[in-house]
Amino acid sequence: MVEARVVLTNKLGLHARSAAMLTKVAAKFESVVHLYGASKSANVKSVLMVMALGVTKGAELTITAHGPDEAACLAALTDLIANNFYEE
Amino acid sequence: MLVIRGLAAVPGMAIGTVKMLSAKNESELLNYVQGAAEEEATKYHLAHAAALQEVAEVVAEATRKAWREQAEIMEAHQSILSDPILAENILAKIEQGAAAPAAVRAATEEIADLFAGLENAYLRERAGDVRDVGSRIVRVLLGGQSQRFDDSGTILCAGELPPSVVATLPSDKVAGLILGQGSLTSHAVIMAKARGLPTLVGLGEQIQQLEDGAPVILDATHGLLIINPTAEQLAAYGHKIAEERDKQAQYRSLAQLPATTRDGKKVVVAANIGQPEEIDAAVEHGCEGVGLLRTEFIFMGRDSMPSEEEQFRAYKYVIERCQGQLCVIRTLDIGGDKPLPYLNIAKEDNPFLGWRAIRISLKRTDIFRTQLRAILRAAAFGKTAIMLPMIVSVSEIVQAKALLAQAKAELAAEGGPVPTDIPLGIMVETPAAAVMAVEFAKECDFFSIGTNDLVQYTLAADRGNHSVSYLFDHFHPAVLRLIAMTVRAAHASKIWVGVCGEMAGDPLATELLISLGVDELSMGAPAIPIIKDLIRHAQLDDALARDILRLDSVERVREYLSKDKGAKQKLKS
Repeated sequence: MVEARVVLTNKLGLHARSAAMLTKVAAKFESVVHLYGASKSANVKSVLMVMALGVTKGAELTITAHGPDEAACLAALTDLIANNFYEE
Repeated sequence: MLVIRGLAAVPGMAIGTVKMLSAKNESELLNYVQGAAEEEATKYHLAHAAALQEVAEVVAEATRKAWREQAEIMEAHQSILSDPILAENILAKIEQGAAAPAAVRAATEEIADLFAGLENAYLRERAGDVRDVGSRIVRVLLGGQSQRFDDSGTILCAGELPPSVVATLPSDKVAGLILGQGSLTSHAVIMAKARGLPTLVGLGEQIQQLEDGAPVILDATHGLLIINPTAEQLAAYGHKIAEERDKQAQYRSLAQLPATTRDGKKVVVAANIGQPEEIDAAVEHGCEGVGLLRTEFIFMGRDSMPSEEEQFRAYKYVIERCQGQLCVIRTLDIGGDKPLPYLNIAKEDNPFLGWRAIRISLKRTDIFRTQLRAILRAAAFGKTAIMLPMIVSVSEIVQAKALLAQAKAELAAEGGPVPTDIPLGIMVETPAAAVMAVEFAKECDFFSIGTNDLVQYTLAADRGNHSVSYLFDHFHPAVLRLIAMTVRAAHASKIWVGVCGEMAGDPLATELLISLGVDELSMGAPAIPIIKDLIRHAQLDDALARDILRLDSVERVREYLSKDKGAKQKLKS
């Protein structure tokens, strides 16, 4: 399993659109991905669970990926977050 | 007659009859026949597939009609519908013996509750999206069709309105919306706004006073609903609504046409904007791009320098909405009169003749570089030009060009897309720039005459000073001659010249400016349709300009123009 700590710097945090993007990217890999917030966690395959984390701008999260392509998966997700979900 | 009040969510007025939206499908639920778990699971899968199809169609339609907000919201519904956790939850309940509709209801309620407790208001409202998705699946399971609206003049009324319903409201039938819930940022309101549907929210308990079929006047602009209006009220509102409709139709028809004179000269009519959000209204009013994007907004009202990223996003926002037409961005034009806490401008006796605009940019090259980089990056998203304010010497232009080249080289080295052709022009707003326009034209790709400052500097009068503001007049012959000189110099170097000061939006000046040879007029949005119309009715050569330039006083110029206009009006009618 691999993990990384990230900070959300995009304006709206994990709202509908960014949550959906996270889910879409994670779905391209076989690995199981979890997102850990301050007190809750979510399986990233579920956009609803990701949104329900209620994560806003500035939040620190831990992402874990577990599976055959875990390194590539984690890299893709941290990249997406670092680029602020390519938000306008 | 009864008047109830609510919150104005989307302004507008409508006369119609109430239609109460029934959301719960209660009777169909009672008649639902439950089968074995396997059968219920199959029914669920079929309903789910049908729901996905429905939503896909709404997304496609919203995309076709360029209703961006709707498309995005419905796409969010698509991802909720496809969420594996939701499906697992529903199937688990079916496994435990629940009928499909009940399982869907219970599962969506559980998940919606997760959102209800969130701190963030935006996320809390997503609970509504989850319930909306659940209702859709249930409706399909019960064999129901989407809500039908058969009567025009329908004022739809509900406690809450699922965004998917708002997304598909037929504009010819539904004239207004009344919601019991109070949120101004719910998806339903966002979509109603995008569609220009007058909406009143926050009625709460008062919704109980409404009956299906009741005649009402919805005055969402003033936050009112008039139930069972009197004949006088109906007449008064009927009149107001007709007037508004005519005005909108006029704007629309004028907005579509380009501004070409009767002898075929095309004049670009663009918008001056000071905040990125203004671009939408400007486009509605028929602007052909932006002739002046004032960038001060992003530097003001804060205690630290805006980052390159923030600037990039703001500029990109406007550029993208120019619909393929040119967006001219003016670099920082600020000075001692509007101090910035993070920029140490010492107290000046005369800030308008002080350290400001390009002078700051060329001294604080760190600030200038960041702004240029942000503009260059944003330029990848549409036609863009850069304009320098308050220029008085050729050397200033040369220095700015060098800094621009440096910024381009840096971006290229970083691997970013660098637009190869970004026109660089100047504001002609100082007498120096107008008098030496010939030399300046050789260094620029275009001119834009900033008449506000040009008048001020040329007539040495502060328009804000009441004792001398009477001197401030853009029809002063000295100013007109400087404009003529500038246009001649521009065309001799084969560059275009526009006017972006208030004179551009003054209907009395339009024909004169065209006769002088101005290629572009940039103004505040409301003036655009009027000026475009004037241009279309004009038939001009340089005769008018020559006649006016012979006059030696403001009074004579104004007299000539008003008489000329009066004579033309008589010819028209």
